[in-house]
Amino acid sequence: MMSATATVMRGRVLLPSHRENRLISTGSEILRLRETVPKRFRLMMVTTATAKYKGTKMREEKLSEMIEEKVKEATEVCEAEERLEECRVAWDEVEEVSQARADLRIKLKLLNHDPLESFCQENPETDECRIYED
Amino acid sequence: MAVSTIYSTQALNSTHFLTSSSSSKQVFLYRRQPQTNRRFNTLITCAQETIVIGLAADSGCGKSTFMRRLTSVFGGAAKPPKGGNPDSNTLISDTTTVICLDDYHSLDRYGRKEQKVTALDPRANDFDLMYEQVKALKNGVAVEKPIYNHVTGLLDPPELIQPPKILVIEGLHPMFDERVRDLLDFSIYLDISNEVKFAWKIQRDMAERGHSLESIKASIEARKPDFDAFIDPQKQYADAVIEVLPTTLIPDDNEGKVLRVRLIMKEGVKYFSPVYLFDEGSTISWIPCGRKLTCSYPGIKFNYEPDSYFDHEVSVLEMDGQFDRLDELIYVESHLSNLSTKFYGEVTQQMLKHADFPGSNNGTGLFQTIVGLKIRDLYEQLIANKATARAEAKA
Repeated sequence: MMSATATVMRGRVLLPSHRENRLISTGSEILRLRETVPKRFRLMMVTTATAKYKGTKMREEKLSEMIEEKVKEATEVCEAEERLEECRVAWDEVEEVSQARADLRIKLKLLNHDPLESFCQENPETDECRIYED
Repeated sequence: MAVSTIYSTQALNSTHFLTSSSSSKQVFLYRRQPQTNRRFNTLITCAQETIVIGLAADSGCGKSTFMRRLTSVFGGAAKPPKGGNPDSNTLISDTTTVICLDDYHSLDRYGRKEQKVTALDPRANDFDLMYEQVKALKNGVAVEKPIYNHVTGLLDPPELIQPPKILVIEGLHPMFDERVRDLLDFSIYLDISNEVKFAWKIQRDMAERGHSLESIKASIEARKPDFDAFIDPQKQYADAVIEVLPTTLIPDDNEGKVLRVRLIMKEGVKYFSPVYLFDEGSTISWIPCGRKLTCSYPGIKFNYEPDSYFDHEVSVLEMDGQFDRLDELIYVESHLSNLSTKFYGEVTQQMLKHADFPGSNNGTGLFQTIVGLKIRDLYEQLIANKATARAEAKA
């Protein structure tokens, strides 16, 4: 039900940073912003979720490593002018992995959903499904 | 919303029970006789109509906030298939199934490297399989669809997809192949301008240790030729194009935070009536901020006009700026017409539901939500139409 007098709302409509047109994109920024928001509104804020299962944490790290590797590779390949097609393919790979990394981050942060959730319900004993402890 | 025809006048009571075969559209009704073991069958045929929506976007699959807004309009949250491959790109809700077209790559990452083609190139995609499977799903037949694993870059064993009420195919090439295009009941193209794309990719990638401003720029530049050759031309076929451009309200704004979003709606599309402002077919320029509504900087500006897009007649609704408060949103909603909402404030309610999604305070979220409502409207009209056609055929 929508309330026309609602002042307590989740997300960017309420947070003070919104007036500065800042986009909240990192976990640390969200945490810093929490301090500026009165206590009674804090419960409403979306908090950063981190990986729940070991398998997801491994995927996160693997993707980050791959980004680094592939950027290096693409930079090298593109130095040679005659390797134009390979250059395009190399940067396309960078894009693919960057997007996959971002997708995973969004699933965990925004949707609070670990992709291994339903798999691990069925197979709790596998190594991938060990609960990740920071 | 299944339309069923019952071929018997047997009354349903506790001596009857139902079974259904998994992939067919038929439900068998059995009645157990207490004295004998004879069973009477009553055949109920439910014809489930599947509509197919195509969404062309260069933002990967699975995260698409557009998809989540769309499935939310229909009710229910879209989730990955339970118990299957955790790297599946598919999303399933009660009414909707979203398929990522990357699953139809004919070449995996290694194959593409070898053949020197990008994922944007049609040579890396199996359009025959795409056509066959979308056609099958549209006709109510389940398919075993391959899975492209974005983490490993390999093609994984297929997953079973049941025909849903609403099938959304999302990816780079939904409208590329003519046969697939003909299967689409509605198509949308998300057109992000280069400046905005650059700003978004910076936000997306700058936190990664492998990336720098140069690498992000180089990646966009390198993909541009294939993108312009293969992906961009699809927008002429779309029924609705959502164009995202930098704002005109802030001079020299290059952060891509405030956006100018244009909803280009094709005229004459069956079951689709474009949204309009004040007077359909006229040209309107509207700034809602004033005496009745106070907005914070940079405010909100709307434009509405008829236009021509790739030789088609279109209506264009444009929003520049951002919403700061709930009452701005409801004020704007109350002045738009032909929204296909079921109650006053439905657009606002849907936007609030996903207030933490990107674009919730500007035209991207607003127009995505409106397109979602339009698709719901299209679906309901199509179903109603088929039901009356069937009833008339019987009479």
